[in-house]
Amino acid sequence: MIMIKKIKYILLLAIIPINLFAQNYPDKPNRIVNDYANFLTIQEQNALENKLVMFSNQTSSQIAIAVVKSLDGYDPASYAFGLGEHWGVGQKGKNNGILILVKPKYSNSKGEVFIATGYGMEGAVPDAIAKRIVNNEILPYFKQGMYYKGLDEVTNRIIELTRGEYTADEYKKATSSSGSAIPGIIFFLIVVIFSFIGRARRARHYAVGHNVPFWIAMGMMSSNRSHGGSFGNFSSGGGSFGGFGGGSFGGGGAGGSW
Amino acid sequence: MKKKWITIIVIVVIAIFIYSSIKGTYNKMIALDEGVKSQWAQVENVYQRRADLIPNLVSIVKGYAAHEQETLTGVIEARAKATSTTIDPSNLNAQSIQAFQQAQGGLSSALSKLMVVVERYPDLKANQNFLELQAQLEGTENRITVERQKFNNSAQGFNTYIKQFPKNIYANMFSFDEKAYFKAQENADEAPKVEF
Repeated sequence: MIMIKKIKYILLLAIIPINLFAQNYPDKPNRIVNDYANFLTIQEQNALENKLVMFSNQTSSQIAIAVVKSLDGYDPASYAFGLGEHWGVGQKGKNNGILILVKPKYSNSKGEVFIATGYGMEGAVPDAIAKRIVNNEILPYFKQGMYYKGLDEVTNRIIELTRGEYTADEYKKATSSSGSAIPGIIFFLIVVIFSFIGRARRARHYAVGHNVPFWIAMGMMSSNRSHGGSFGNFSSGGGSFGGFGGGSFGGGGAGGSW
Repeated sequence: MKKKWITIIVIVVIAIFIYSSIKGTYNKMIALDEGVKSQWAQVENVYQRRADLIPNLVSIVKGYAAHEQETLTGVIEARAKATSTTIDPSNLNAQSIQAFQQAQGGLSSALSKLMVVVERYPDLKANQNFLELQAQLEGTENRITVERQKFNNSAQGFNTYIKQFPKNIYANMFSFDEKAYFKAQENADEAPKVEF
């Protein structure tokens, strides 16, 4: 049994792709609103969080907010695309994510805001519209220090624009295995063989003990087993955030500074 | 008799193992190669998108700044040169990518000259259509940066894969060549910076 586990881990390690060009982005969070700079109060964060999680559950489109202390020397656009891609805002395949990146204004640096649109959102929120939203709905409030108001307005506008673009059809994770199939097959075979051996052994015990033919015991085992552990499904409804879905960003969006 | 069978089985197993390892490696190389090619198509796409914006931009600027004929002609010529330089995606070597990058870089610098000139025309800068074009142009420059970065990543993935032992032997056998990268250029490829 320990052997199987070991093999499993080794195979898993072999399959996981190594992410080149990784930067120091914050780790993938389990909230949709992430304030790393104490930009908003807890109540304000929760209000935005509830609104955006509800929108995500209704439409599968995800509007994430990230407030970071520093852009690590990157321009806001590059940082926003990189972070959006790193977190995977939006759903895989639909790429219907939007990331609103904010770097607060400090005494020695300007405030920056950038709306990054995923590939699938470029139609609903074209760059020119994103620019207009930044100039008309965000910056006027941010300049007065009304941060929550600005973010509340901008998310409302984006929700208006993108509602109807995607529907929350039962989202199934695309089982795309573009990598080499061999490790997968070997892994699969090993798992099957070992589980078969284990099950057969237990079935034989069962069959001997209960006076049932071996193959019937085998069938009973497998039907019992199928109720076992199920994978954590994508949670829906209920107001809980199911996590980012692996959306991708191609450079759409616009930003501004104050 | 028994020994003979064991030998045959061992040989068959080894043959199957070798076959499947070559097959797997080859298919993976094909998949990675296709990935690089489709990412290249994305790169060309976003450059094309920029080229498509230019006629509108030129005609708007012309309306306000007819005196800047020289700068405008520069942009139009650079655009023609850039759109005529295309690469066969199965031949993504250093020379072809450099030629492509040079042609596009020429357009970038012509555009940034135009954007400097535009600063002298307040009426133009207040024009709503111009502002939207400007936002689109900025967005397109961002897209170019992102897609180039993604191209470099996928090219690096491919190169790393085919250079490892023993895959390099197969790569040679099936003549898979290393892909070239986009290189950051001094000044020439800088996105036009526009201050309001």
